[in-house]
Amino acid sequence: MITYIIKKIIFLIPILFGITLLTFTLTKALPGDPVLSMVGERAQPEVIEKIRRELGTERNILIQYLGYVKLLLKGEFGRSYYTNRKVFDDLVLKFPNTLRLAFGAMIIAIPVGLFFGFASAIKKDTLIDRLISTVSMTGLSIPVFWSGLLIMLFLSLQLKLFPPSGTGDIRFLILPSITLSLPALATISRVTRATIIEIIDMPFITAVKAKGISRMRIHLIHVLKNALIPIITLIGLDFGSYLNGAVLTETIFGWDGIGRFTMEGIIKRDYPVIMGCVIIGTVIVVIINLIVDVLYHFIDPRIRIHEESR
Amino acid sequence: MQKNVLKSFVVLLSVYCILSLCSCSSQNRLEGYVYYRLNTNPTTLDPALIVDVTGGTLSAKLYNGLVRIGEDLSIKPDIAEKWKISEDGLRYIFKLRHGVYFSNKREVKAIDFKYSFERILSPNNRSPNTWVLDKILGADDFVKGCAEDVKGIQAPDDYTLEIRLKNPFSPFLSLLTMSAAYVVPHEEAEKLGPDFSSHPVGTGPFILKEWLPNREVRLEAREDYFDKPSKVKGIIYRIIPEDLTAVTEFELGNIDVLAIPASEYSRYKKDHKKKNYISSIQGLNTYYIGLNCSRPPFNNINMRRAISYAIDREKILNTMYEKRGRLSGGPVPDILRKWTIPDSSEYDPQKAMDLIAREGFSGGTIYFYITADQEIVDIAEVIQSYIKAIGIDVKIKQLEWSAYKEVVNKGEPDIFYLSWWADYPDPENFLFPLFHSSNHGPAGNRTRYTNHIVDALIEKGQYTINEKQRNLFYKKAEEMIIADAPWVPLWHKTDFTIRQPWLKNYKIYPIYSMDKGTDISF
Repeated sequence: MITYIIKKIIFLIPILFGITLLTFTLTKALPGDPVLSMVGERAQPEVIEKIRRELGTERNILIQYLGYVKLLLKGEFGRSYYTNRKVFDDLVLKFPNTLRLAFGAMIIAIPVGLFFGFASAIKKDTLIDRLISTVSMTGLSIPVFWSGLLIMLFLSLQLKLFPPSGTGDIRFLILPSITLSLPALATISRVTRATIIEIIDMPFITAVKAKGISRMRIHLIHVLKNALIPIITLIGLDFGSYLNGAVLTETIFGWDGIGRFTMEGIIKRDYPVIMGCVIIGTVIVVIINLIVDVLYHFIDPRIRIHEESR
Repeated sequence: MQKNVLKSFVVLLSVYCILSLCSCSSQNRLEGYVYYRLNTNPTTLDPALIVDVTGGTLSAKLYNGLVRIGEDLSIKPDIAEKWKISEDGLRYIFKLRHGVYFSNKREVKAIDFKYSFERILSPNNRSPNTWVLDKILGADDFVKGCAEDVKGIQAPDDYTLEIRLKNPFSPFLSLLTMSAAYVVPHEEAEKLGPDFSSHPVGTGPFILKEWLPNREVRLEAREDYFDKPSKVKGIIYRIIPEDLTAVTEFELGNIDVLAIPASEYSRYKKDHKKKNYISSIQGLNTYYIGLNCSRPPFNNINMRRAISYAIDREKILNTMYEKRGRLSGGPVPDILRKWTIPDSSEYDPQKAMDLIAREGFSGGTIYFYITADQEIVDIAEVIQSYIKAIGIDVKIKQLEWSAYKEVVNKGEPDIFYLSWWADYPDPENFLFPLFHSSNHGPAGNRTRYTNHIVDALIEKGQYTINEKQRNLFYKKAEEMIIADAPWVPLWHKTDFTIRQPWLKNYKIYPIYSMDKGTDISF
């Protein structure tokens, strides 16, 4: 297990180089010049040229990339072209917020999604099933931008229960967490339903039923345990994407997370910010996948993750 | 298994609760503070680097310059209590006030202005604002690194600053009201280096207490401010990118002043209670459609005039724009124009078609570039239908701002939609950057309009000290520009804000740098 984890972490290095090279090339290929946005409306051409030289944006793309890699090897992410602030410091400031929002969303989405999925599966083709399926489909189809505003208008403006926007304690977290959890909740619910329906019809469940074990025990131990693999994969994917920032939710609720930071970087062509966010995002996705792999092993010991058993 | 799942859930819940508790920060209203909304994070608070409105709005509260803009848009004393201009318009002598202190408790001396101005012009700093001070004698050599100091800036004693210009430049005092001409203490600027951007030290009525990027900026009032002190404890700017969220915050009383988003304008206007708290100011801006004069079909004056006749600007302003502006006769905003101009907003599609027929325009598609903003898209579609109605096929191309600016600067579009906002209240600011042939592209003249007579008239206006005479040159220049039609001037937008009933002495200003934040009270 430990060897597997170490190997995965070592494998992260070529992934990071690949991703940085790809992102670097793609962002440079985008139309739009960061220098023109930085200098405002009336900068003299000599000043524009000077800034371009200083930032090195006119050099050969390979040289620019190697310069960036050199900076990375020194453990730096560079400074934002616009704010002059260290990108690493900003990421350190924003990452805990993103983490809190992702946890908040998942804490709502996982239990509610599992419950809905389970209830829907064991009450297959009844009114409850149809009702839950409709709710799930609605949750999946409504754009976050719209659901976020509706939630804000209802819970904040009408009922005055929570502050509409800002980054702060748990009160500020509730509205964006609910908004962000909706699509995940719906997918978890649908996948849980489909998986459980499949498992319930398997011969081993009939065998367990024949043994006279209680319904509750059958569902919670035998069915749920066997249904967990696809659900955990899904949760891992959603969690990984939330940790890379939820642009719309963060924008609507003025939440100071990685998503908004990345988006602003992209809009302003602030290359050091874009690169910093992509690197952090890559590390997160790889780590989450690693955690999911390890979890597979614990849930289903037939899945061996160390080399010898393959 | 059940235990494991339960355990993992409890661990997740605990981590989440710890994270939430660790980052507990109160965002309840602080008593005595005024709350404003910013839609974007300020990029920098270093006067040498500020180019955005947000940065300019905040820096006006943190710094001062030699002079400032008064409510009647005339130049008023700031740190300089008086000044004298030589008859030839080349020499400015400023007498500074005694007892003006930076927030680090050191008194401001004339040498600080010399340092601050040279900091902008220094080849070691990458300030985009060199154009503000490059009229000073010796500035060019200093920018190129050929001189040790700017010889046109001298401080004969602690309270006298002498500035000599290369050539007379009538709006020079107006330029000195801009944030680039604010004074900064050399010891702090040098000690902090690039971090001066986020740790500003100035002479203004407020100091920066806290800046949480993308969240809020907290300014606290200074007790030792040399001029009229603030009546509130401080100002908190909350950064809320989404308009509807900001409206919700305002409705809940968490924000005291809100610039009314276009989508909410009619609702507030119709609200009998709230409409009493709406303030408006005629903005120093011009919205326009630029026509690329450097290539066919709009290198032809009649084709440009045809487009001008084809669009019913008044109708668009009164309907889609909900009268949130005044019809524009020419590029110079009406409140800065001290002369009359012929009406250029005539809508006559028949005349437009005759002009096109006379030029033998054989069809073909022209490309209309806009940014991907819904309000602009709606307006552009109407303009597209007006132009199509006179027989010209128009295709709209929407681009994101950064890409848009690049193509417009390069002169790629046939037609584009843009606006220009005053840096300082002088007609020159709407003529030289936008129509002088030396400013093609990013410097402002994006239609690539070239008329050497107009160039000469604008230059004469810049050199002429006598205001009446200067206005005569500007009038002639503007008339020629209107006749040549490189722009279809649309309107001058009016700014609307709404405030909470508990706020007193609230004023709205046409230029952000005018608001020092010291009038407002509860």
